[in-house]
Amino acid sequence: MANVSRIHRELMQFSKDQSILGMSLMADDDDVRHLTATIPGPTSTPYDGGIFHLDITLPDGYPFDPPKMRFTTKVWHPNISSQTGAICLDILKNNWSPALNLKTALISLQALLSSPEPNDPQDAVVAKQYLGDYATFVATARRWTEDFAKASSANFSGKVHKLVEMGFPEALVKKTLEAVGGDENMALERLCPK
Amino acid sequence: MDSEDDMHDANDAESVDDDFYSGETAMDSDDGDAADYEFIDNDSDDSNDLVSHRSQQNYTILNETDIQLRQEDDITKIASILSISNVAAAILLRHYNWSVSKVNDEWFADEEKVRRVVGLLEEPRPLPNAKELTCGICFEVYPNDSMRSAACGHPFCVTCWQGYISTSINDGPGCLTLRCPDPSCGAAVGKDMVVSLASHDDREKYRRYFLRSFVEDNRKVIVLSFNFLIIDLRFFFISPLIQNGVLLLVVDYAVDFIVGGGTFDVTCRCSYSFCWNCTEEAHRPVDCDTVSKWIMKNSAESENMNWILANSKPCPKCKRPIEKNQGCMHITCTPPCKFEFCWLCLGAWSDHGERTGGFYACNRYEAAKQEGVYDDTEKRREMAKNSLERYTHYYERWATNQSSRQKALADLQQMQSVHLEKLSDKQCQPESQLKFITEAWLQIVECRRVLKWTYAYGYYLPEHEHAKRQFFEYLQGEAESGLERLHQCAEKELQGYLNVEGPSKDFNEFRMKLAGLTSVTRNYFENLVRALENGLSDVDAHGGTSRTGGSRSLGAGSSKGRTSRSKGTASRSSGSRNIDDSGHWSCEYCTFANAKSATVCQMCQQRR
Ligand SMILES: [Zn+2]
Ligand SMILES: [Zn+2]
Ligand SMILES: [Zn+2]
Ligand SMILES: [Zn+2]
Ligand SMILES: [Zn+2]
Ligand SMILES: [Zn+2]
Ligand SMILES: [Zn+2]
Repeated sequence: MANVSRIHRELMQFSKDQSILGMSLMADDDDVRHLTATIPGPTSTPYDGGIFHLDITLPDGYPFDPPKMRFTTKVWHPNISSQTGAICLDILKNNWSPALNLKTALISLQALLSSPEPNDPQDAVVAKQYLGDYATFVATARRWTEDFAKASSANFSGKVHKLVEMGFPEALVKKTLEAVGGDENMALERLCPK
Repeated sequence: MDSEDDMHDANDAESVDDDFYSGETAMDSDDGDAADYEFIDNDSDDSNDLVSHRSQQNYTILNETDIQLRQEDDITKIASILSISNVAAAILLRHYNWSVSKVNDEWFADEEKVRRVVGLLEEPRPLPNAKELTCGICFEVYPNDSMRSAACGHPFCVTCWQGYISTSINDGPGCLTLRCPDPSCGAAVGKDMVVSLASHDDREKYRRYFLRSFVEDNRKVIVLSFNFLIIDLRFFFISPLIQNGVLLLVVDYAVDFIVGGGTFDVTCRCSYSFCWNCTEEAHRPVDCDTVSKWIMKNSAESENMNWILANSKPCPKCKRPIEKNQGCMHITCTPPCKFEFCWLCLGAWSDHGERTGGFYACNRYEAAKQEGVYDDTEKRREMAKNSLERYTHYYERWATNQSSRQKALADLQQMQSVHLEKLSDKQCQPESQLKFITEAWLQIVECRRVLKWTYAYGYYLPEHEHAKRQFFEYLQGEAESGLERLHQCAEKELQGYLNVEGPSKDFNEFRMKLAGLTSVTRNYFENLVRALENGLSDVDAHGGTSRTGGSRSLGAGSSKGRTSRSKGTASRSSGSRNIDDSGHWSCEYCTFANAKSATVCQMCQQRR
């Protein structure tokens, strides 16, 4: 029911702007309503230098209903759940308009990384730290960027290699690593049969 | 009743008697009680008129059309004052909670700001002047004439507008404040555009939201719906939906209440009654404070009270559990026992009626205690130990009347939806002439409610005010027994006319009896309510509870009963035995005007 032709148009338009934006957006081969995206951490923020992965699902009502977006890279940010990557951003909820699109949503997310809204928090622990102990907040956010957002780009192939050597199929390893934001231990946990 | 002629005589006497029931409350005898008993009365008023005619109303029940008319009135008013379109006026009014004066004030204080806030552009902009336009939602290119825009001129294709509007309507009442999809714009999308683009179903939803907003945003209006009635039937305590102060599901009726006009009781057309002041169920003659105290007390004691609410009690004779499934308190055990007893006090029914010379005493806590009724069961002894005994007594009677009332409400519904038609069939009577039955049931429902609250009244009546207590209990006892008579007649005797092959000869007699009982009972209860609301202030003047003295005055005197020519207070006690000008005699006990040939009151079987 989601407007597939609009999604294709959006993807075409996005590929033109991609290089300027420094972002990526890709639909699954078999399901255009499931996409993954990356956004670079804005400069002069604790997220600088990191690449943040997102998981996007377009609901049936898209573009009249907002896209469902979630960070798969772990982020330390008042408006993003440090556990699940869920995002608190008005345009992804009540203030969504069908005249917005995935590109504008991703740009808004990048802006959110630059200017957190600690008074409308998604993650209360992070928000409390942001308001009460800003220095520690910055340090934590930076360390998380190092550990999860940078590591995933720099050491990604290394991690893939390691896990493949353990005997898991490469495609699955890549997918799993992406889904957990490059966290090796979490990926292993998911890969191991219960 | 000796003959049908007598019946008609009695009836004629009522209708020609212009003094009939002209009490202190200026009952208008033209459209008052008397007229309602005309057998040839075939105007087809809503039955709800019957509920409400008993006192001056300071509220109006509005149905959907009424609400819509008021809404349109306000819209037109604003449109003409501000010289704007009706659509724009509606947007403004909705934003300011449908307050005409607020819109007026804000607009003239700072029109520009108001326009900005609600998204009303001063100069509508047309679509961009190009042959083809790109839709801002689907990114497709369309010829200019298949694009639409709000007053701002931002073009979107019809299909995208439809999707946008439909999504918004199905998200809820937020659709009433719909704005242009362009995120930087904020121009309001008016009702006209929504209606022209929405599907049939969505249009209907939108229309209801629009209507509801008028009712809900307007604070002087409380909305009820039929759903409340259902809730009301299921709970002993008041529907939580009402307690929370937010009152609605679907617009069925709204109530427009004029503050300062007297009582707070409001009866909706669905027959749900509530207090405008505290929004609890209607509770005259008890005041709002007492009600809230009582409700708090009930919830504090609710655990202890659960067992009371059980629908079965052991028959006092054979000890088999008996289920009370009829509304009235007169219970007959199943064969072979067939013991007839009173549900309230578990005493033999034969000790109850006036026929035996005793009077209805099971409302009397003291009496019941002395007779040791409370020692009957283990549970009751336990309750006594917990010193809940007194409360238990009042609570049980309160709750029993409550459930009787709910039962009566259900019976009324059943009556209106099924039985009246059947009765009309069986007795060859047009349904318009069976109004007296509906009226009887409405009266029962109302009386059960009043009676229920008299128990809360009794609970809080100070113990040391002996004279008042005695008087109160006497009045309450009379009320119980009067209502019991009516309830039995409407419940049990009616059955006899439903389950027959052809028309019953004595149906007219039944009509007379039930209509008469209804009228007598209504009268008694109205006076009871007034007396209790006045704090039983005449109690001293009447010297307590002597049965032949002042106490009767409530029933006969102030009711200006069927002693049609006996006016004023002087003739109260003596006049009641008099034969009036038309040759009828008025019953001393229930005030019914009996044919002179009758030696026993046709209403209450009391000997003349
Ligand atoms: Zn379109
Ligand atoms: Zn616009
Ligand atoms: Zn109603
Ligand atoms: Zn009240
Ligand atoms: Zn009240
Ligand atoms: Zn009794
Ligand atoms: Zn009588």
